[in-house]
Amino acid sequence: MYLEEVRKIVGEVLGLGTRTAALQEDSALLGSLPELDSMGVVQLITALESHFGLTVNDDEIGADTFATLGTLARFVERKLT
Amino acid sequence: MNAAPAMSGPLFLDAGTGHGQRFCLYHAPVAVCRGAVLYLPPFGEEMNKSRRMAAMQARALAQRGYGVLQIDLYGCGDSSGEFADARWDTWLADAALGAAWLQAQLDQPLTLWGLRLGALLAIDFARRLPAPPQALLLWQPLLSGSQWLIQFLRLKMAAGMLDAAEADGGGTTTGMLRARLQAGETLEIAGYALAPALAAAIENLDAAALVLTGCPVHWIEVAARDDLPPAAAAVARSWRANGVALAVTVVSGPPFWATQDIGENPAVLRAGGAMFDAVAEALS
Repeated sequence: MYLEEVRKIVGEVLGLGTRTAALQEDSALLGSLPELDSMGVVQLITALESHFGLTVNDDEIGADTFATLGTLARFVERKLT
Repeated sequence: MNAAPAMSGPLFLDAGTGHGQRFCLYHAPVAVCRGAVLYLPPFGEEMNKSRRMAAMQARALAQRGYGVLQIDLYGCGDSSGEFADARWDTWLADAALGAAWLQAQLDQPLTLWGLRLGALLAIDFARRLPAPPQALLLWQPLLSGSQWLIQFLRLKMAAGMLDAAEADGGGTTTGMLRARLQAGETLEIAGYALAPALAAAIENLDAAALVLTGCPVHWIEVAARDDLPPAAAAVARSWRANGVALAVTVVSGPPFWATQDIGENPAVLRAGGAMFDAVAEALS
């Protein structure tokens, strides 16, 4: 699973600093991290696309995708397999 | 670092009758002048987020003997005009305005430096010059204009997504927004009115097709990995295959143009400074 890489990217893009390490698979993202506003969502999608070399279509992402670190990592995994 | 050298500071360039003024920040060279540098900023929030890094790099270059001009493009920052009226050609003309001012001021070879969308503008402008610039410094260049447009349109989509987190609904896709642009509608996104003509011009930009030969091109990429991400690597391969004298430096650290807080990335500044040292050394 891509949990480790996704955690690192979430931390860097949102500037979570030392809070990054505390993010677990079931940690809530959207609606829980104040840094994850609309700008944050866009930057996160962009960073994931760039890092993993994937293309995200808008109709495959929604609020569910960003629910937890785990849902986001699983989305990446699905895109790459 | 020393205090800002004399003559450095804000200034306005007159873009001609009816075209208003462009706000610029000039960093005069310290000691013997070795060259001129024109900085072309990214767009929107990215420009705001990256102001500090751009100023830090500009000051570091001034210390090396370069005169650096940071220009706010038409409809952006503190320059004249409404963003809704901004066009790609206007921005190319702004780049020419800045370059002409540096030429008159310093009479030194010009290096172009741009971040994100500004990097594409720098390459597009450089290709239109009668002779190639001395060098090109690209910070995190966008790989295509359509990539930029999608990212920008996603802001509107993400705003809908945040609402949808509370009540089920939302669902505006970037495809729907693009269709509205193509139908001639100006879209209001994150406080910017994006005109269809500007969107169309940017959407047609493709980094791989913007080949610039005849001068060193240095690409600095911030990534959470040791090499260029796949899509960027493909552009780099294509450039090299077409004769671009490309050097790539990948550094880690915060993506300062996109971070929530105003970020600094010293590795980017070091790599930028090193490029100028290498160009100067090759000339000496």
